Amino acid sequence: MPGISFAYEDFCRLFGKKLKKDEFEHLLTFAKAELDDFLEEEVGVDLNDTNQPYLWSVEGLARLLRGVADIETGLAKTPVRKGKKEVIVDRKLSKVRPFIACFTAKGPAIDDYALKQLIQLQEKLCENFGRRRRKISIGIYPSRKIDFPVRFKAVSPDVEFVPLEFAEPMPISRILAEHPKGVEYGCTLEGSDVYPVLMDSSDAVLSLAPIINSAETGRVTEGDTELFFDCTGMDEPSVDLAANIFALALIDRGFEIESMTVKYSSRSAVTPSFRTTKIKFDKGLAERVSGLELKESDVKRLLERMRYGYSKGVVTVPSYRHDVMHVLDVVEDLIISYDFARLESLPLELPTVGSLLPKRRFIDLHRQLWTGLQYQEVFSPILSSGDLLYGRMCVDDFGTVSIKNFMSKSYSCVRSWLLPVLMDVLSKNKHVDYPQRLFEQGLVSRWHKDTIVDEEHLAAVCAHTSASYTELRQHVESVLRAQGVECQFEEFEWDCFIPGRAARVLVGKKELGVIGDLHPAVLEKFNLLVPVVGCELDLGVLG
Amino acid sequence: MDIRKLAESLHPFERKVLPLVEERQTVRNIADACSLQEVEVMRALQWLENKGAVELSAEESELVDLDSNGKLYADKGLPERRFLDAISEDTLSVSQLEKKGLGKDEINACVGLLRRKGAVDLMKDGELSFTITDRGRELLEKPFLEESFLELDFPRDISSLSDEERFALESLKKRKGMVVVGKHKTKRAVLTDLGRDLISSAVREQDIVDVVSPALLRSGDWQGKSFRRFDVRINVPKVFGGKLQPYRVFLDWVRSRLVALGFEEMPGPLVESDFWDMDALFMPQFHSARDIHDAYYIEDATASDIPGKLLKKVKAAHESGGDTGSSGWKYHFDVGRTKQMLLRTQTTACSARKLASAPAVPGKYFAVARCFRYDVVDATHLPDFNQTEGFIIGEDLNFRHLVGLLKMFAREFADAEDVKVVPGYFPFTEPSAELFAKHPKLGWIELGGAGIFRPEVVKPLLGEYRPVLAWGLGIDRIAMLKLGIDDIRDLFSHDLQFLRDARLV
Repeated sequence: MPGISFAYEDFCRLFGKKLKKDEFEHLLTFAKAELDDFLEEEVGVDLNDTNQPYLWSVEGLARLLRGVADIETGLAKTPVRKGKKEVIVDRKLSKVRPFIACFTAKGPAIDDYALKQLIQLQEKLCENFGRRRRKISIGIYPSRKIDFPVRFKAVSPDVEFVPLEFAEPMPISRILAEHPKGVEYGCTLEGSDVYPVLMDSSDAVLSLAPIINSAETGRVTEGDTELFFDCTGMDEPSVDLAANIFALALIDRGFEIESMTVKYSSRSAVTPSFRTTKIKFDKGLAERVSGLELKESDVKRLLERMRYGYSKGVVTVPSYRHDVMHVLDVVEDLIISYDFARLESLPLELPTVGSLLPKRRFIDLHRQLWTGLQYQEVFSPILSSGDLLYGRMCVDDFGTVSIKNFMSKSYSCVRSWLLPVLMDVLSKNKHVDYPQRLFEQGLVSRWHKDTIVDEEHLAAVCAHTSASYTELRQHVESVLRAQGVECQFEEFEWDCFIPGRAARVLVGKKELGVIGDLHPAVLEKFNLLVPVVGCELDLGVLG
Repeated sequence: MDIRKLAESLHPFERKVLPLVEERQTVRNIADACSLQEVEVMRALQWLENKGAVELSAEESELVDLDSNGKLYADKGLPERRFLDAISEDTLSVSQLEKKGLGKDEINACVGLLRRKGAVDLMKDGELSFTITDRGRELLEKPFLEESFLELDFPRDISSLSDEERFALESLKKRKGMVVVGKHKTKRAVLTDLGRDLISSAVREQDIVDVVSPALLRSGDWQGKSFRRFDVRINVPKVFGGKLQPYRVFLDWVRSRLVALGFEEMPGPLVESDFWDMDALFMPQFHSARDIHDAYYIEDATASDIPGKLLKKVKAAHESGGDTGSSGWKYHFDVGRTKQMLLRTQTTACSARKLASAPAVPGKYFAVARCFRYDVVDATHLPDFNQTEGFIIGEDLNFRHLVGLLKMFAREFADAEDVKVVPGYFPFTEPSAELFAKHPKLGWIELGGAGIFRPEVVKPLLGEYRPVLAWGLGIDRIAMLKLGIDDIRDLFSHDLQFLRDARLV
């Protein structure tokens, strides 16, 4: 979840009132936010809603909470002056980076703190909402250095400019290969032979989207009062949304916004659009889902507190929100506005018969019987490694379900049997008193022909100076006898067991599992200096 | 305790040792006088001390004992005597002496020693040879001091040695392997009045039954006798019985509570398709939780069990909302992607499958299931963990029922009365809520999340929209609180001593 930080004083100024910490903390729940840190100079807040990016800024957060606290309700004002500046979009960008939204802003001189806030919002939008700049990315520039109109052009990789943090002009191909941002985000342009560049009318490169700004025209510094903003991306609604969010945050900070005209080859658009959407309110559904009785005036009041517009059954969704897909999204906000803490809970009177999965009965019976035989139960992660499952057990792979993108070798596949896990436990506990008798019951998973099958297994090991086949076989027989199951033991050879001291356990014609004295070559791999006898049973055969 | 009871509680060892204390005093002496080993005597004395029958003290003393050569010569005679004996008849050369059974080392040692005493004369005539002197013959007449010393009883307290014995000891110390001197603690016991009373209490060994044996029972000889009393308060050695694993026991308990509350358990596979794990739950394919860095994808696997009709409906819900009354996520839904296989990331996958299989209405469903996340392992993160989730379906259920349910869960599973339900976000529920409970030490802690499944989830899977209450509990967190564990890795501990000692709750 995204986290942001800001000065508390700044929040209170934007909010319009001083708040005590506990009031602030309570209000945050209305934004699905949690307080992480609270210091005067820096407050940290985590935002749970990954679908409402406007909240990832102190401006957006304060705007919503102004409504919740009844300081300012209804749709936020979006004053914008229609500007004459234009951006011309190259049609060759249609496959690379087809959409752009731009505007200019004039306001109070930017100080260090305001700059940090702008960069924070820019980063949150690009990283989280923008899917690491793939979906959208944002550039901010001091507009005094730019000759309008601006062109969004597809250029060859030989075009040169000085990227931020570098002193010399570099061709795009080198920026992608050497600049830290080029290395990090270059993959977004992979497979393209043209590159999206923003250029002003005197052919100065402003930025390479979505990688890096120019050091000459693309660096906002303290004291700047006029800004040029661009957002480029792969789909127009997302680009539009990000521009609306950013422009309104600047308005909240005292800037005047001047729109720009984006000229595509066959049409043009004015950005920021501040385009609101309308959705019909469904009172019946709202009451059915919320369990509240709603009067028309309640609906209006509750929704306006969440900064919606409302009139006669029609809800206006602000231009900085794209998360309203269904009227229930509005209903949720209505319940939030009502305040969860005020909701009276209703008792759940729903007589139903509870039950466990049928397999639980004999699984639990097995577990009880093995503890009765003095075995300690072990419970382990299901993720494992080929080295443990096969390498150290000296056997061949028998159908591993492997993870494509594993993070660490020791968690790179799903366990296909449990005996190796218990051997690993023995090897970690050589200092603990013997005899050591362990069992684990749990799921294993493996490929059977073309399908992946989960099986409920049980493995047991017995380790002490005189541990051997007979002892464990007595235990296996005892457990099965307790369930009225008769089994046969058939000669069996497998590399993890000592030849002549291992058996296949058969129930009727079905193979229930294997049992045997672990081969010294296996014991050696687990650094064990004590004999071990083990078994692995597929409980599904009994079920 | 009366004296008779006390007398009856004496262990056979104590019974043997007690009468010997006054006369024999030390552990070693007592052990010599009865058929017990020193450790057994010591144990008996300690028990007697606990009963107040003796008082024990320890004296540190210097003890001398014979070393290997010392023991050898005590038996065989000192080499210098054997040397003198050999040459008392005739002058002998080195090789002749060797034939008489003296070792080279012994001869060398003797030559220096006997020359200093003036007992031999040396001659070199090709080979070295020796002749006894008058002084030598004189020496042979009586025992050497060292010889007398070697004949004493060992180990021996140095403070008890005479001057002559001390002199011999000093000379033997200089020789190889003759004696060892070491510090030693002597345990000494003194009878107390109670001890004396016990001896005279006249409870005879033959009147007490120690072991209840089959023979005794057969003969009936126990009749008219007392049974030895055990000290039932003393510590006994630990044993570790077979035991269930504490975390697993906790999960068993969670399951049993849910069943008692009328919930039916849902099945589901460990390896899921993107379809059931995410797409059916209306998580857009571009959602960050679906990143290659957030789920474990399976090599060479494609789902083959996705019902075509359902897939069509889910695709429509994503792209345009379909018939769910939603505008959808407005993107191109990738049908290839939905067939990718991954390790289940959320138990909600089980709920999706259940919803699609015409569940009984009204119904309450749950699963306690293993899920997997792409996480670095540390004290609060495991790539492999358990989730508990479920849903409730019925007529006229609403959000206020869900709030009631959550408060009940907080009471049932975390003994929490002070709870709060706040707005939350999950892609598959709307409205969504989070449940917090006040912990006496940790403050507000998150217990779980809940919500009402979105129409985009319910309508394709169930065929119609109705409010379905979905809930999930952070069961690992609750388990840690209940089991008193700080490190989440300990839930799956492989430390056998930890497991043997662990408390089951």
